[in-house]
Amino acid sequence: MLRLAAACALGRLAGRVSRLLGRGGSALPGLVAEKVDPRLIERLVAPVRRGVVVVTGTNGKTTTTKMLVAMLEAEGLEVVTNPTGSNLARGIAARLIEVASWRGRVDADLAVFEVDEAAVRPLAPRLRPQVLVVTNMARDQLDRFGELATTASHAAAAVRRAAVAVLNADDPLVAGMAAAAGATRFFGSAEPVRQAMPPDSSLYGAASAAAPAIPLDLCLERSDADGEGQVITLVRASGERATARLQVPGPYNGYNAAAAALAAAEFGVPLARAAAALEATRPAFGRGQVIEYRGRRVRLLLVKNPAGLNQVIRLLAALPPGAEILVAINDLDADGRDVSWLWDARVEDLAGGGHRFGTGGIRAYDIALRLKYAGLEAWAETDFGAALERFVGGIPEGETGYLVPTYTAMLRFLELLRPGTSKREAWA
Amino acid sequence: MSDLVIAHLYPYEMNIYGDTGNVIALRRRLEWRGLEARVDPVPVGADYDLSGADIVFGGGGQDRSQLEVADDLQRRRDAVHEAVAAGTVFLTICGTYQLFGRRFLTQEGREIPGIGVFAMDTIGGRRRMIGNVVVVTPWGDLVGFENHSGRTLLDPGQAPLGRVKKGYGNNETRRDEGAVTANCFGTYLHGSLLPKNPGFADELLGRALRRRHGAAADLPPLDDTLEHRAARVAARRP
Ligand SMILES: [Zn+2]
Repeated sequence: MLRLAAACALGRLAGRVSRLLGRGGSALPGLVAEKVDPRLIERLVAPVRRGVVVVTGTNGKTTTTKMLVAMLEAEGLEVVTNPTGSNLARGIAARLIEVASWRGRVDADLAVFEVDEAAVRPLAPRLRPQVLVVTNMARDQLDRFGELATTASHAAAAVRRAAVAVLNADDPLVAGMAAAAGATRFFGSAEPVRQAMPPDSSLYGAASAAAPAIPLDLCLERSDADGEGQVITLVRASGERATARLQVPGPYNGYNAAAAALAAAEFGVPLARAAAALEATRPAFGRGQVIEYRGRRVRLLLVKNPAGLNQVIRLLAALPPGAEILVAINDLDADGRDVSWLWDARVEDLAGGGHRFGTGGIRAYDIALRLKYAGLEAWAETDFGAALERFVGGIPEGETGYLVPTYTAMLRFLELLRPGTSKREAWA
Repeated sequence: MSDLVIAHLYPYEMNIYGDTGNVIALRRRLEWRGLEARVDPVPVGADYDLSGADIVFGGGGQDRSQLEVADDLQRRRDAVHEAVAAGTVFLTICGTYQLFGRRFLTQEGREIPGIGVFAMDTIGGRRRMIGNVVVVTPWGDLVGFENHSGRTLLDPGQAPLGRVKKGYGNNETRRDEGAVTANCFGTYLHGSLLPKNPGFADELLGRALRRRHGAAADLPPLDDTLEHRAARVAARRP
């Protein structure tokens, strides 16, 4: 116990020093504390009354986590969760230290953590999740994660450590996983919705083998664009149904909502109340978030991989003609140094939509070239300030423009859109 | 009737790192000159007559797919050799390029037989060679992105595609990259390769068009300003 208290104290101290030195340093306290007590995470989550929920997968982790936390908090439960982007062991450790008492005790009903799909395997036995959610599995930054089959096998091993697994039945790589206890719950969608979320294997034209029909515990019956939001209908196996209007657009957010509602059901949250919480959930950092800027609205749609870009393309293709779109691609380590994935996305689906395209980021010319070969014209501007001026200048006053950046490009634009806020929000 | 037929080998099995961008580039650069291409997907197990194709393309894949593809490629061994001898244009990248050599020896010591179009062996290594590459070739400097752990060693008589100016290429030591035999090209450059190297894309198209339609089939120039800008930026990135 003393060791745990010391680890927490030293971790907090490291955080204060790092902040004094002007570094964001959200990982440092976790790193320091884990050095002092390598079993810190295990010890800190042990007293959490109703256990731990882990949300992993390629896309949708952050939004699903945020939705689930909203549902649980609306029930009056006290929930600990990790800030966006801190989804490795050190980020989780840092968050636990932050909320722990000076003696190293975490007083909470539940802990809900988003965990990186490449880090979930070693973390699962330490967190011993009551519920583990897998959103989907798609190729992502192969220069960093390696092969998709490997990532999927790591996630599957993690799932076996969970008491209950909440899995996406529409993604063949996820549907094959199962919890150790055999308690596996499936979410999925009705046919028309499913076509809006093709699994990785079908993105490249492969005929998706007729998947054996998995009985769904929760079905996303409908997911339709509604102005700048998305109206969804969820149906339980029992026949119970609820409709909600999400504050974020995109059919894929219907999946995130279904995953969250099914995980929440494990803690007794009725579907109708989950739906009410969904309506109140604001977009997560960069995931459909809207920023007011000089009388215009800029909607941020973060992209990281071809599957995610395809989802955003679906959303953009449905926008009325004339919509202003800026796609900004960086190639730093956090974005993935290899930008060839731009050629794997169905950019051709944007042709004929009458939208206005600009491109930015370090690799602006690469995405402009991709658009050119899809038959679309776009301006290119590698300077972030100049790109933002040109983009915003093209949005009529009072209207919304769409900014589609990779991670580090998003941080750069946020600094310009709301000086001084991007770091705080990234870790808020 | 199509002006050119492009056969895309294993499009579902071997499609990582944007290799499909190469097929998009070939097709578009024909369309922009009023010509038309038909693209035939040739997946594992497909019955397909390679002698009808003008350009054959094969990309990189994940390890699991490469084994599947290696078996299928053995069945096509004679057909590929005949097509190469007949002057068909081939572009093979990474995983497919390796299988166009004699053999791939995995790190575990297992041997995956190739089809021996190129006089070379590939040996699996621990360290991955990842990053942007620039290669000096007779068709100009080619810019791409490499990501492979196999090290390819060419026989002394085997012509490489070019010399590495930046990055690794075939292996860590010899500074050669890719291989060329007749109209058959092999390379480690993803990138995608052809969109950012329009001169090389046109070289492949020109060879295929001359073979099919005779000397008159000249390609009028296109405005490649954006292509060259993208290549220049990529050449400076790590
Ligand atoms: Zn490769």
